[in-house]
Amino acid sequence: MTRSPYAALITIVSILFLSITCQAEEIVPHLTVGSQEISLSAGYLLPVRLTDDHSTKQSGPAFMPSWTMVLTDPVGWRWLRGQLMLGAEIVYIQFQEPELTHGVGFTPKIKWMFEGTGRLRPYIEFAGGPFYTDLAGQIPEESARFNFILTAGGGLSWFFTPQWSFNVGFRFHHISNAGTRYPNLGLNSGLPFGGFSFYF
Amino acid sequence: MNPTSSLRCLALACCGVILITIGGCSHWIEMTSPPADTNEQASQVIARDEQVPLILDRIHTSRNGSPQNPSSESEQRILSSLADIGLFSHLASANAAAEAVGKTVRAKLRVDEAIDPHAGGAALKGIVIGASMYILTPFLPLEYDYSAHLTLELERWDGEIKRYESQAAGTARYHLFGATPIMIDELKGHVTETCLTELARQIVKDTTFFSASSAPLFEPGIRTVSVKSRASSTTSSAAPAITVVAPARMAP
Repeated sequence: MTRSPYAALITIVSILFLSITCQAEEIVPHLTVGSQEISLSAGYLLPVRLTDDHSTKQSGPAFMPSWTMVLTDPVGWRWLRGQLMLGAEIVYIQFQEPELTHGVGFTPKIKWMFEGTGRLRPYIEFAGGPFYTDLAGQIPEESARFNFILTAGGGLSWFFTPQWSFNVGFRFHHISNAGTRYPNLGLNSGLPFGGFSFYF
Repeated sequence: MNPTSSLRCLALACCGVILITIGGCSHWIEMTSPPADTNEQASQVIARDEQVPLILDRIHTSRNGSPQNPSSESEQRILSSLADIGLFSHLASANAAAEAVGKTVRAKLRVDEAIDPHAGGAALKGIVIGASMYILTPFLPLEYDYSAHLTLELERWDGEIKRYESQAAGTARYHLFGATPIMIDELKGHVTETCLTELARQIVKDTTFFSASSAPLFEPGIRTVSVKSRASSTTSSAAPAITVVAPARMAP
């Protein structure tokens, strides 16, 4: 079950790089202050067990529609040069393991998009917000249905037109209830994902 | 909780969301250099046969000190602004105009833009706004500063040069949800318009200087131009730029 997402990811990345080498035309996105991004990403959640106390092997597909806005013109030096973006994201996870359950959250997110090579722009992003899941109570790590989700990750945006980009990346998710109920070990997950963005 | 109080809470929450959304969508532009007093504008009269054509030789644009390529859009805007004065018989850019014959005024424009997007402040406020789940959006406006300094050199057919300068600055203040690229274009448009209006006001004062009868046309002689390399303003630029400086008439 865990191999198929990796195989899909490798295939997508291979297609991406083959496409880049085949494209001769220069496409440079023109993102300025106030430019907005609507994005839809999907991935597959994989367990990351950081301690021996973490025993749950949670997994399942995740969908993440998001909106962000460019806050700054390109700033910074050399390879760090990029643009700050602020937005929000809805994250929906269907836990298929250990039980078929669901989780949904709303997270403000902040993103730093490097200038990269123009059409190929790496980025890092951080997000955090409330997360509700009915998985809690069925696993030893979580007891409350109301939780918080913290996300940190990075990715690569490939602009195939000045307004559309294809994105791949990897995120780390931490879900816990911030000590409001015990036990509160927290669920940690890795999430390889892919998706599309539209800029306007 | 009874249904009535639940309904009240829901209504209050809806009102709060609507207020935050409306408050967080606004943007406005503040001009820090107000337009020149229109009372000062003195109109002049020029006979049609006294009008001479103007050729826009060159536009040199820089942004925060770094040279930029001038756009044809900005060139058109400058030409139409000069055309609005009514001082010149017709206007053209050097690329479009054929070799000028007779009395013509040649123009060179330098546009120095300065942009300050307040990136650090925007980042800090952005983090605070995000952390507050966007509740603080209406209370933390963001800023974008733009200023322009225009220098216009008009060279009469006899080599006499008049130099005009104008500058203006403005700030776009906006809440997060009100930010659009159009807003920045609006700010730049207002600042540029203020500069061009001020330039036009100054040129109108010199109407007699540019009238056809103000100076005789020199007989065709050998005219020279100086060709020299320009001192680079940046240390990394190795290739010397070639510039053609103001034409000078050689004594017969």
